[in-house]
Amino acid sequence: MSTATRRVSGAGVSRPLHLRLIEREAPMGYILLLPTLLVLGTFLAWPFLFGLWLSVTSAELSDPGHFIGFGNYNFEFKIDHPFWTSFWNTFLYTGVTTVFKFTLGLSMALLLNQIFPLQRFVRAALLLPWIIPTVLSTLAWKWMFDPTFSVVNWVAVHLHLVAAPGPNWFGGTSTAMAALMIVNTWRGMPFYGIAFLAGLQTIPLDLYEAARVDGANRWQQFLHITLPLLRPVLLVVLLLSTILTFADFQVPFVLTNGAPYNSTHVLATWAYQWGVPGGAIGLGASVSLVLFPVLSIIIAGVLVLLRRPE
Amino acid sequence: MADLEDKPYDPEREAWTRRRFLKAAGLVAAGAAAVPILEACGGGGGGGGGALTTGKAPVPRQGASIRLLQWVHFVPAADTEFIRQCTEFGTKYGVTVAVERITADQLIAKTAADVESNSGPDIIQMQYGWPHLYDAACVDVSNEVGILKSKLGAVASVNDAFCKVNGVYKAIPYTIVPNAFTYRTDLLSQAGVTSWPKTWTEFAAAAAKMKAANLQPFAQTDGHAYGDSLTMWNPVLWSHGATEVKADGKTVTINSKETRAAIAWAQNAVKGGFVVHPEWLDPDNNQAYHANRISATLNGASIYIREKVEFHHYDSVSDNGVVPAGPKGLYTMNLIFNHAVMKWSPEKETAKALIMYLMDKTNYLKYTDIAGGYNAGPFAAFDNDPVWTKDPKMKAFHDVVATGKWPGWPATPSKQTAQSQQQYIVADMFAKAIANGDTESAVKEAESRLQAIFSRPG
Repeated sequence: MSTATRRVSGAGVSRPLHLRLIEREAPMGYILLLPTLLVLGTFLAWPFLFGLWLSVTSAELSDPGHFIGFGNYNFEFKIDHPFWTSFWNTFLYTGVTTVFKFTLGLSMALLLNQIFPLQRFVRAALLLPWIIPTVLSTLAWKWMFDPTFSVVNWVAVHLHLVAAPGPNWFGGTSTAMAALMIVNTWRGMPFYGIAFLAGLQTIPLDLYEAARVDGANRWQQFLHITLPLLRPVLLVVLLLSTILTFADFQVPFVLTNGAPYNSTHVLATWAYQWGVPGGAIGLGASVSLVLFPVLSIIIAGVLVLLRRPE
Repeated sequence: MADLEDKPYDPEREAWTRRRFLKAAGLVAAGAAAVPILEACGGGGGGGGGALTTGKAPVPRQGASIRLLQWVHFVPAADTEFIRQCTEFGTKYGVTVAVERITADQLIAKTAADVESNSGPDIIQMQYGWPHLYDAACVDVSNEVGILKSKLGAVASVNDAFCKVNGVYKAIPYTIVPNAFTYRTDLLSQAGVTSWPKTWTEFAAAAAKMKAANLQPFAQTDGHAYGDSLTMWNPVLWSHGATEVKADGKTVTINSKETRAAIAWAQNAVKGGFVVHPEWLDPDNNQAYHANRISATLNGASIYIREKVEFHHYDSVSDNGVVPAGPKGLYTMNLIFNHAVMKWSPEKETAKALIMYLMDKTNYLKYTDIAGGYNAGPFAAFDNDPVWTKDPKMKAFHDVVATGKWPGWPATPSKQTAQSQQQYIVADMFAKAIANGDTESAVKEAESRLQAIFSRPG
């Protein structure tokens, strides 16, 4: 009966288009993808393409400007002196903090993976820096590094670690940069720690038992079991963290905003400086897009590593 | 005229008389005729005028709802009075007025976002040269400024320069926040400094005496503080005869022997005992003064006013002094705020009427009285504001107004001068030269940054 019906409809009676689309796998797949594509297009692709367009125009706030080709990039690379400081600062900031966050995060995960009293409470408490809104926690750090009333200095002086009145954190170029790195590391470390911990808990305990039977010590177990099995998590966390740190705006903006004398600007804050207070959004867009090829290379590298067999 | 000035603002009454209109129209016509001549001579405001002056006062629409965005005042009572006056206006004319306040350093980000999204508050408080940055988003208020001028006299030169973009008023002059030194008389006496220094040389000598006596230092920011850094280092530069750019607004002039002289003064003053803090933002010197950490600092009157009204720790041993003069004269810089009506506002007339109400002489004097001298009026009629004589110690804050200039002076304010100011190029130059002693590299860097701004593609 059903075969007959199908024959009849196939011969002459056309079925509605939407029914035919739903019944076929490929069109249905595209239809289901549509909402996601719409969201990604609206909130990712469109701003990105708009940013690309802005970066090749003379756009200013309330003035769409006109096409100037690579004029903004040319200006940044050849004329705008603080751009290069911001460029190198971005790499330094990302490089140093990533090393610290990685090392401390891994140590934190290894410790949290042990069984000890109040284990769940400690795990939750260590996530706090990651949970608190960045601007709020950075403001708290700003007060702690305050040139007049620094609690950090007070503690260090009273523990006889430094001579009174202690370092002027935001007064010197290197101490201000160090302060930025300390805050970023403090904030980012729990993300590493918790992600690594999740990875550690998926490693079968049998492997460690077998290794112990074979006479492997702790270091050998870590090197030959933990690290290889944790590799996918390590790479993904490293990738995400690198992207986020390269583009970090909140910590440098709230803590130093480039001071002293533009020595702590990163590309994100320098782009803001041109785009918002300076009103030159075309130029600001070009500064922020400088990172795009750099990040693309990093992402490609990590993805290649992830796909490579052990 | 006199009776108009003394009565509160009433839009029904504010329409000009025929005689006043003809007088003003005559002046406008004469001015319009003069513009091409001035331009031909290399002067003038650059044209692009077309200022709208009808002579009619804006009339608020009953039932309208407007929003005003401005900073959080350093004297809290001043904000209370400001909001009270807005509410009073709302009640009188059946208008809902909302006053939004954010800290001054966040105001620019909010303003920029509003301008870019073409929506937001009906009125925005514009700091310094913002009307030049956002001129396309601000409506022409030449008519309202004309009315205020006829009632209150000439506009203070700095407010005028900031508000007028290519001959058209894009903001209504609102206020000046005079910046002078607040100092501890008891500490200065202990060090043998008997009167406030009149020149920068005397200032450096007094700072050295404080250091020699092991007393709290004279201290100031040379960092990225939107007020205290700019109001310190621009006057130091100008008073040594140096400028960032020529009056043409194009030729960068920072690389000069006068700039080196200004830097040399700063380096010597710091060697002697003057303490500079590149990490300080605007509130930091206030805190340090109230905490008895410093003996003198350049600031708005808030340090003195809060000591007098709130803290009472050092009010009796605090006084205020004018910014010292340099070899080329006495120059000062003050914070300048003006109100712009935004082009996206559906209630432009009501917004303008609110500003006119706030600028009414009676209302404005109530405001400055409560602000205790933290604010100075931007029209000639406010020169003799009783607030300046109420407390003789406030005289310094009155005296710094007349000598005030703007960042980028002698060039007319522009997008470029505003960008140079926003990037703290002058303060950075001093800070770098003081920190590492390398005057040449600091001057050259400032020059290259200024040239970058003034040669930008566009």
